Formats: sequence, structure tokens, C-alpha cells
Amino acid sequence: MINEERVILMTKLASYERGRGKKNVTISNFFRSDYIGFQLLKSVIYATMATGIVVGVYLFYHFEDLMQDVYELDLIEIGKDVLKYYLILIAVYCGISYAVYSYRYHKARKSLRNYYQNLRKLTQMYDS
Amino acid sequence: MTSLLVVKQHIKHFIGKYEVYLQPLGKFLVAFITLLFVNGATGYMTRLNSLAIVFVVALMCSFMPPNFTVIMAGAFVIAHLYAVSMECAVVMLAIFLLMFLLYYRFSPKDTLVILLTPIFFILKLPYAVPLTLGLLSSPLSIVSVACGIIVYYTITYITGNIVTLAGMAADDMAVRFRYVIDGILHNREMLVMIGAFSATIIVVYLIRRMPIDHCWIIATITGSLVNIMVLLLGDLIWDVNVSVPLAILGTAVSIGIAKIVEFFAFHVDYNRAESVQFEDDEYYYYVKAIPKITVAAPQRTVKKIHSSRRQN
Repeated sequence: MINEERVILMTKLASYERGRGKKNVTISNFFRSDYIGFQLLKSVIYATMATGIVVGVYLFYHFEDLMQDVYELDLIEIGKDVLKYYLILIAVYCGISYAVYSYRYHKARKSLRNYYQNLRKLTQMYDS
Repeated sequence: MTSLLVVKQHIKHFIGKYEVYLQPLGKFLVAFITLLFVNGATGYMTRLNSLAIVFVVALMCSFMPPNFTVIMAGAFVIAHLYAVSMECAVVMLAIFLLMFLLYYRFSPKDTLVILLTPIFFILKLPYAVPLTLGLLSSPLSIVSVACGIIVYYTITYITGNIVTLAGMAADDMAVRFRYVIDGILHNREMLVMIGAFSATIIVVYLIRRMPIDHCWIIATITGSLVNIMVLLLGDLIWDVNVSVPLAILGTAVSIGIAKIVEFFAFHVDYNRAESVQFEDDEYYYYVKAIPKITVAAPQRTVKKIHSSRRQN
């Protein structure tokens, strides 16, 4: 005799394992600090690349002016400015990343806890 | 209405039954249509305009993750612009890279919006995008829509100034680069559109989350009015060339599209809404339950009646 409730629960669990579950298991394999730290490191790399692109576009845009005044430019001052904006971008972007990935980690753990609870329920169904 | 609901049930059943085939087919169609639109809007690299190439690339996209379509569409755009001038291609590449590096790593699923927004602009129905996203998504989709708008207006600007760009001397790389960047940064129509679409998404999202009857249709209409108002305001302040009658007509059609979306995503019967109240040890619960409108799709059974052959 088919136990309808058990089949529904098993289908739900199987669907979770194939879909969202896979990602959540990967996330929860890390410690919280490791996961967020790794994502922050990636954010720093991406933000650095983005800064590189913007600086490249800016330099090319002002190419003629820069070539004309190349000997009169205060390169240290310009470097300081670039560094200031770069650090601001990194700070803002890492702040957003921290918030997003903390939330994702928390959600993944919660969702997995729910999954294991359902798994226990299923075992109990078989035992009874 | 009942027949429409039956059709909806049939569609749901059909999709559920043939999902394995429909998913790659859907991806193929999205990629094929997108690449045709890209070729139609730009089309400067004649080799890429070949239908065979579009077909083969779309076929590849049907077996790859959805983001592959976005990458291919981006590659097509860059290749076409490269045929005009390298500076245009570099600017476009920089825009794409910034979008992918800074935003799409957080929500890679949103990349589809970057494809659909320019397509809806070409179809003259851009206002359907914020209405639909406000109904189905979160305010975070503002970033995706803004990216889509930037891509569309960049392509439009470059294609609109192709003669000027081609007329510039070959060694004036920096001038051409500056011309393209200036055109994009000072495009007020683009900024007005981003403002209007952002306001629309926020308004639609906030209203459809309210616990009021017919919130989806109220959200759609209010969002449409906000959209038109922001466009008018932008036109008044910056004198951008937004055609007001066309905007009103486009918004009206977009409301129709939003209504279709509502029919499939949120079709409920407010007449049968129930308000229940109960409590447990910690809380009082005030729950409003609105039943979904569903009908059972009639099952047709074909009974074959064969006349029994007489054996001699």
C-alpha cells in the first residue's frame, strides 16, 4: 500500500536535493567565517578589476590632455586620489558583499536544518 | 473566463508533461530571437548576420546554462560594434564587464532582464518591463533594468551616430572614444528612463505587497501612472524627446501584458476571501486567506469503436 504522505515528503526532499539543496550543501560545508571571507576576497578582486577598467577608460578619455600636461602633473597627488576612490569602492562593495553573503549563509543553514528535520520525519515514518 | 482557466490548466499540464523538451526549446527560442534582434539593431559584421550562424549559436545556447545566451548576445554586440570602430567595441566591453563584475555575481539569474529590456524597447513596449518586474520580482531588479536600459541606449546612440563615427579620421581614436563616452554619459533620455522605471518598480512592488483586495491591478495602474508622470517630469525638466502619446499607448498595452502575467501568476477570487483569527501561547494571528481560482481541466477520453472483423 502506498503511503501518500511519505511519497509527498520523499518527492519534496528529492526535489530539494536536486535543486536548491545542492547549492546550500556547498555553502554549509564551509564555516561561516571561511565562506564570507572567501566571498569578500572575491569581491576585492572583482572591485579591483572594475577599478582598473574605470581608470583605463578615464585615462583613454583624457589621453590628449594627459599627454599635453604630462610633465606638469602631480603624479603622487593623482595616485592618492585614485587610491582614495579605490578604497571607498572596496569598502562599499565589501560591505554589500558581507551583508549579502551573511544573509545567504544564514538562509542556507536554515533551509538545510529544515531539510534534515524532514529527513528525520521520513525515517520515523519508516520506523513506525 | 472559465474557458480561459481551462486553457491555463492545459498549458500548465502541457509544460509539466513536456518540460524536458520545452526547456531547451525555450532557451533556443530566446537565444534565436535575441540574436536576430541584435543583428537587426546593429548588423555591421556581415558574417554574423548569416541565419546559419545565428541558428548554430542558438542551438548551442539551448544546451548551455541561460547565462551563456547573455554572453553570446554580448559577444555579438561587441563584434558588430568592432566592425564599426574599435572604440565603440571597447566602450561596450567595458560596460558589460563592469555590470558582470559588480552586480551579476550577486544575482546571476537576473541576467535575462538585460536581454529582455532592450528587446522590449525594440518592440516599442518598454513599459511592460518595470510593471512585470514589480509584480514578479523585488526592487533589486532595478539594477538589472538599469543595466538593460544602458545597453539599449548605448547601442542606439552608436547606431544613430554611425555616419559621424565613420567620418572621423582613422587616427582620431581618442576623439572617437571621447565622442562615444560623452554621448552615453550625457544621454538624459536614458537617465529619465532609468528614473521612471525605478520609480515604477518600487511603486508596483510596494502596492502589490499590501494586504488589500485587487492589489495587483491597483499596483499595475498606479505604477503605469507613476511611469508616465516621471517621463512627463523628465521631459519638462530636461526636454528629452519622449513621445508622450506613444508613452501613453505603450503603457496601455503594457497594462494588458501585466494583466496576462497576473492571470498566470496571481489569479484569486476576492469574493471568497476569508478572515480568520486565532491564538496560541505566544501570538494572536489575524489571517486573511484568499482562494486561488482553479478549474479542473476536462479530461477527454477517446473511445475507439472498431467493428469486429468477421472471419470467414
